[in-house]
Amino acid sequence: MLARCPSCRSTFSTDRTGAQDCPVCGKPLVVPPPSGGGETGPESPVPPPTEPPPAPGTPWERRAELGAFRAWWETVVQALFEPGRLFRSARLDRGPAQLGFAVLTASAASIVEQLVEYFFLRNLTRTLLQRLAASGPMAAYSQKLAASTPETSPRAAALLMLCTPLIVLVFVYLNAAVTHGAAALLGQARRGFAATFAACAYACAPLVLLALPACGSFVGLVWTVVLTGIGLQQTHRMPTRSAAAAVLAPYALLCCGACALGVLGGMAALRGAP
Amino acid sequence: MRGIVRAGPPSVHALGLAVAGLSLLLAAAVLPLDAPPLSLFACPFRAATSLPCLCCGCTHAFAAAVRMHPLDALGFNPLGALAAGALAVHVLWTALRLCGLGWAPAAIAVTSRFRVGALATLGLNWAFVVLRGGP
Repeated sequence: MLARCPSCRSTFSTDRTGAQDCPVCGKPLVVPPPSGGGETGPESPVPPPTEPPPAPGTPWERRAELGAFRAWWETVVQALFEPGRLFRSARLDRGPAQLGFAVLTASAASIVEQLVEYFFLRNLTRTLLQRLAASGPMAAYSQKLAASTPETSPRAAALLMLCTPLIVLVFVYLNAAVTHGAAALLGQARRGFAATFAACAYACAPLVLLALPACGSFVGLVWTVVLTGIGLQQTHRMPTRSAAAAVLAPYALLCCGACALGVLGGMAALRGAP
Repeated sequence: MRGIVRAGPPSVHALGLAVAGLSLLLAAAVLPLDAPPLSLFACPFRAATSLPCLCCGCTHAFAAAVRMHPLDALGFNPLGALAAGALAVHVLWTALRLCGLGWAPAAIAVTSRFRVGALATLGLNWAFVVLRGGP
């Protein structure tokens, strides 16, 4: 739930009601129960006046009433075709459910991809890598990849599949942390890490396309980046341009930095030239 | 503003970040740098421009940090080394909170001065990695 500190007036997200300290200024305060129990003393935080009514929850967050599979399916369909509606309905106090959705969706699709690759496409991939390794700009890298491919024993493949949920969890948290850092640097992370995490978790829905051979991974990853931007816009209620900047900043920073360095280097070279 | 405040048990995100951080630190400790999968990491930015990116050297910095070579880690990528240290502190602190420690670091107020400082730090770190030439 969201609460506001009466001392520093900052809004923060908390998992519990009752006496606690403000995470920003550290002063003690009391968070009333969501039903509006009647604590109206000077230390009672009041909800921000601009805060809309609490979101109803995504289908996945209501899976107890919908059933697990239907809730998962409806969440994926909404994420792909009605992302604004999905992110508007996400509740920020349902972090465990959102994490579960991301890990389940991406892990299941990734395991299917690994099985298809192992049983049907391994020889094709190896042949392709050997051709790429023979010549071209990717030759050195392809040689490394081709050399590592025969090492994929059945035991290593099974171990990788078992580790997939953990790898997905690390990916989800890394993605959320980097995206939240970029949003915070842009001054747009208004509703805390929980809002960024909700956006990043439901943005994993297109990763179901990982299960499709060939272009599925590429399309899924690009769609995930786009959905993360839409999710940030809805969960943090930030302008579209800010959401796009927060998602693309980690990538754009590299390009802009390189361009700046290139320009500076070029200017230095021109000055040193006779 | 106090740096440490009273707090209850860690939130699910604190736990998730701790699990992710512990996984990264364990991977850096166990996986060899010169064999797959870590040897397959290639920086497309560096391949295209011959300049290291902001994150170049982080894998080596993490590996050096978990092997208790802090100076080597700082030499590979200073912010990568600091991130490894911060993750280790977060993992340890979360474990202590699970055991009943009633204190947690206060949330950082992201002021405009903080943002400028963070951007300057990123720029300085990148300049260091570029001038050093990367790992």
